[in-house]
Amino acid sequence: MSENNRPMIEMENLSKSFGTLEAVHGVSLKVYPKQVLVIIGPSGSGKSTLLRTMNWLEQPSEGEVYVDGKSLSENQHHINDIRSNIGMVFQNFNLYGHLTVTENITLALRIVKKMKKEEAKKIAMRQLMKVGIADKADRYPSELSGGQQQRVAIARALAMEPKVMLFDEPTSALDPEMIKEVLDVMQLLVKEGMTMVIVTHEMGFAKAAADEVIFMDMGKIVERAAPEEFFEHPSCERTKQFLSQILKH
Amino acid sequence: MAVNDRLVTQKNKNGLQTTNEMQLTKKDFPWWMVAIGLLIVITFLLIRIKPDFKDAFNIIRAGMSVTISTTLIAFTIATMLGLFIGLGRVSESIFWRNASTIYVEIIRGIPLLVLIFFIALVLIPGLTNLLSALGTVLIDVGMGSFGVKLAAIENKSISMNVRAIISLAITYAAFSAEVFRAGIQSIDKGQMEAARSQGMSRWQAMRYVILPQAIRNILPALGNDLISMLKDSSLVSILAVRDITQVARLYAGHSFKFAQAYSILCVLYLTLTLVLSLCMKVIERKLGNERK
Repeated sequence: MSENNRPMIEMENLSKSFGTLEAVHGVSLKVYPKQVLVIIGPSGSGKSTLLRTMNWLEQPSEGEVYVDGKSLSENQHHINDIRSNIGMVFQNFNLYGHLTVTENITLALRIVKKMKKEEAKKIAMRQLMKVGIADKADRYPSELSGGQQQRVAIARALAMEPKVMLFDEPTSALDPEMIKEVLDVMQLLVKEGMTMVIVTHEMGFAKAAADEVIFMDMGKIVERAAPEEFFEHPSCERTKQFLSQILKH
Repeated sequence: MAVNDRLVTQKNKNGLQTTNEMQLTKKDFPWWMVAIGLLIVITFLLIRIKPDFKDAFNIIRAGMSVTISTTLIAFTIATMLGLFIGLGRVSESIFWRNASTIYVEIIRGIPLLVLIFFIALVLIPGLTNLLSALGTVLIDVGMGSFGVKLAAIENKSISMNVRAIISLAITYAAFSAEVFRAGIQSIDKGQMEAARSQGMSRWQAMRYVILPQAIRNILPALGNDLISMLKDSSLVSILAVRDITQVARLYAGHSFKFAQAYSILCVLYLTLTLVLSLCMKVIERKLGNERK
């Protein structure tokens, strides 16, 4: 029972400064297994920075991050092990440009998980089927549309069998007609019970998929609530203002 | 003028301004290559029909293997050393970053000719003396077998050809280190982040993600370095290494046939560099196609 109650990600009073700029200020949160946390907020509010501290791509200036019960600052020497359990999807996809779609997925399987080539290929194919682009397996990323690239990036992260997936504005760099295909894949993961932390501007998706929504501004959590309450009855003035601006059109 | 005419006719035909003005470099027939080729052909014709050219050519030709082997060996060492130093330039360790920057700045601040003198006539003799002194010490403390070998190293046991190669390699390592650094830094930092987020170590990310892409980007620059090194290898003639420059100099000196000796020397270098740059173009085109 205690196993189930342990948060997948826990942050304690976390702050991150870049020089004199304080991007994140005293944030605490918990993400439980199978939970979907959506973080929204204006640009520069620190939401991406917050997400990037969850796998130590940014080292917090203060506070502590626990992933699956392990303190990241105390486990810096095992950070590669910990990261291999955390999938991350970036705004700009960051696919490896010199490798084919399949090789993009098998690379980390082979050198981090020491898998055999054939085994890794099988996993890659399975993940590509799941995101619906198995036919592009031998193409290079530059030959794919943005939506397809992002789905490959998701497949690449999933292939590592992560315990939690982090999404850093996964649809922000996409043409409008490609956003849906990526959101559909993410929705599929939600249904499968993947633990997810998502930074996004897609309010419709947040409403449909989130268990909890966090609104950040100026590096702090301004409001947190279940999606229905958050979007229907926001309590803070700042949240109302942000939502009215974003939902106006 | 001809270009202007073409622009005008295009405008008239379409009624639109579809000019090639945006195209900054025009792809035209390589007349320059024909001209240089002609120059080379004429020289080789002279070598065939004129006995004094023929004599000069046959003598100078003997230096070809030294020039080519010196260049290729030195370039290989320089590239490997340069990769190592280039990685040092982007290292996370403040020590390696500074050590490699010191190397690059010192080498780049001294003329190649002076460096060749210094490395061949000061650095290498200094090192050999140091090693043989170390050998003597080792014999004294009882590590005789290894000590004897070290103590036997003599300054003159390192030939001038080897010193020339070491000098060129050390110098060009600094240049290729900068090329590697620029190549690594030209790769979007998202690539490193993606690799690290998957659990790769910094070194694994460098080895499997960053370097393969960086090297593809810097191949043209490395090719240029190879061509400059071929030309700079002529400087090793001051160490009396018998490359084509040294052989030509000697020949001209005692036969007084300066025109024959030096025009053949020019054409030999030109032929080599032209062949190299053609090879580079082929490789670049191949890579360019692959990427698409």
